[in-house]
Amino acid sequence: MYLNAFSSSSFGKWILPGIGFIWFLGAYFLLLHQGVEEEPALVDAFFFALFFLGGFLLLDRVFRHYTPNRKNGFLLVLFPLLLSGGLVWGHAQLLNWWFVEESEYLEMLELSVLYRWLFLGVVIQLLALLAVVISKLAGQEELSRREGQLLQLSKDAELAQLRQQLQPHFLFNSLNSIHALVLASPQRAREMVLLLSDFLRGTLRGEGQSWISLADEIKYLGMYFDIERVRFGHRLVVDLEVEKGVEGLKIPPLLVQPLVENAIKYGLYGTLGEVKISLRFQKEGNYLQVAVENPFEGQVSVPGGTGFGLSSLERRLFLIFGRTDLLEKSGANGIFRIYLKIPVAG
Amino acid sequence: MIKTLIVDDEPLAAGLVKEFLSSYPQFELVAICHDGFEALKAIQLFQPELIFLDIQMPKITGFELLELLDSPPAVLFTTAFEQYAVQAFDAKGIDYLVKPFSEARFAQAITRFLSQYKSAGDESLHPAADFPISGERSKRIVVRVKNEIKIIQTQDVRYFEAEDDYISIHTQEGKFLKKMTMKQLEESLDPEKFARVHRSFLVNLQEVSGLEPYEKESYLLRLRSGQKIPVSKSGYARLRQVLGL
Repeated sequence: MYLNAFSSSSFGKWILPGIGFIWFLGAYFLLLHQGVEEEPALVDAFFFALFFLGGFLLLDRVFRHYTPNRKNGFLLVLFPLLLSGGLVWGHAQLLNWWFVEESEYLEMLELSVLYRWLFLGVVIQLLALLAVVISKLAGQEELSRREGQLLQLSKDAELAQLRQQLQPHFLFNSLNSIHALVLASPQRAREMVLLLSDFLRGTLRGEGQSWISLADEIKYLGMYFDIERVRFGHRLVVDLEVEKGVEGLKIPPLLVQPLVENAIKYGLYGTLGEVKISLRFQKEGNYLQVAVENPFEGQVSVPGGTGFGLSSLERRLFLIFGRTDLLEKSGANGIFRIYLKIPVAG
Repeated sequence: MIKTLIVDDEPLAAGLVKEFLSSYPQFELVAICHDGFEALKAIQLFQPELIFLDIQMPKITGFELLELLDSPPAVLFTTAFEQYAVQAFDAKGIDYLVKPFSEARFAQAITRFLSQYKSAGDESLHPAADFPISGERSKRIVVRVKNEIKIIQTQDVRYFEAEDDYISIHTQEGKFLKKMTMKQLEESLDPEKFARVHRSFLVNLQEVSGLEPYEKESYLLRLRSGQKIPVSKSGYARLRQVLGL
């Protein structure tokens, strides 16, 4: 896409006449230096500069309407070469007619035609290349700017939507547990209400605060486990290991929780009997490494895909870090393992 | 006394149903089960007339449990998932209680059950025998082998064959029987992966290795495993369409 690289207003107003003037002066003094008399040198240089400008504008017009591409890139070379040849020939004809009596000058003119062609050809060639490069860059800049805006927009929307997706059935089942506890065990019902409130508050955070400390995230996960323990009682066992000194690391909220949710979904909802879910946090280089393990039954698929799910998590990781290699899954011998690497500063 | 069973993987949720139910002396609670496996055994043992059935449970869902029963009792679904309502309706559940539900709503469900129960012996009380299996396109089929539950991934099935009221499911591991109709089965499977090639045969397209002419206007389908399956005229047309022949 040829974006009028040389047709911007400031370029047309100052730079183009400036180049023409410099061209004129250069040619004029060079001719004087070659022993040409003042008058022919002046006229020659003037027309040479004028033809150069004319040729340049023509080139600009042509490439604006017709963009050279990879397939016919040779035109980018051929066209300026033919153009400069034509210009030099026209210039020589004009001056031959003008100074028909000045044989000494005409001799010099004839000798210099080849050099003039070469020089003009190279300059126009370079300008043509420059024009293409500039227009490509400008086009790319525009494109990436628009892409950036679009991405930001969809990113905001998507993050908001992902936050919304937080398991309605989890909420309703928890409310149902409270419903059951109210008469049977009012004290536990109260505890559950408080737990659920804190948990939901945590879910809704992130509007104003984009990164939180790992300690907060772990506290939040603790509430999640506590709620699930109220619902499933004896069946859930959690083994949590946190390396010393990683609690202060800042991470985006709700990255670890989907992993735990997934572990619960396949571990607790998917198998019978006691379920042990283990969680390990440790620092490795510039990453916080999170390892989650849960038992699973290979042949069992769990219904109800309303949760966050791992694919949504992958999408979020991509939106936040622009990477797709942060999540690793493996399943063997009835144990499902997930490793999540979260980039953290220093 | 109406023998009643509660099936819910959450003890508190089951406890709540039990509490609500205790105000109705005509119901006798025979057992509380926390998963489909326990429930299957309890149903065979106690022959309850009514089940309060949760849908999302470990291993097999409430719907899948119903598929395994030869003559399922009346069912009141209890679930936090609103989106299963249509499916529950197809399964002819008496009512669909969305958790958390009030005691008044529970009473309404009980009334509905009792009114149908009184018009005794009515077939409509029981879940339909031909409701679509597990709703959406299912990726697995749950079958009963004696008193054990077996879960078959549909991708592992070579072909299905109709046998009277049953469908035999042919896999590498052998043949399994399930009570259902060809129509139900066809509707529950992904039409891009399975094709009904004959009135009595439905094949997994991935297992197809070739097609050969057989008599006039009829064909035989060859499977990777070597079996040959008859193809009817309309089945041939369907195959051509699906396989893009």
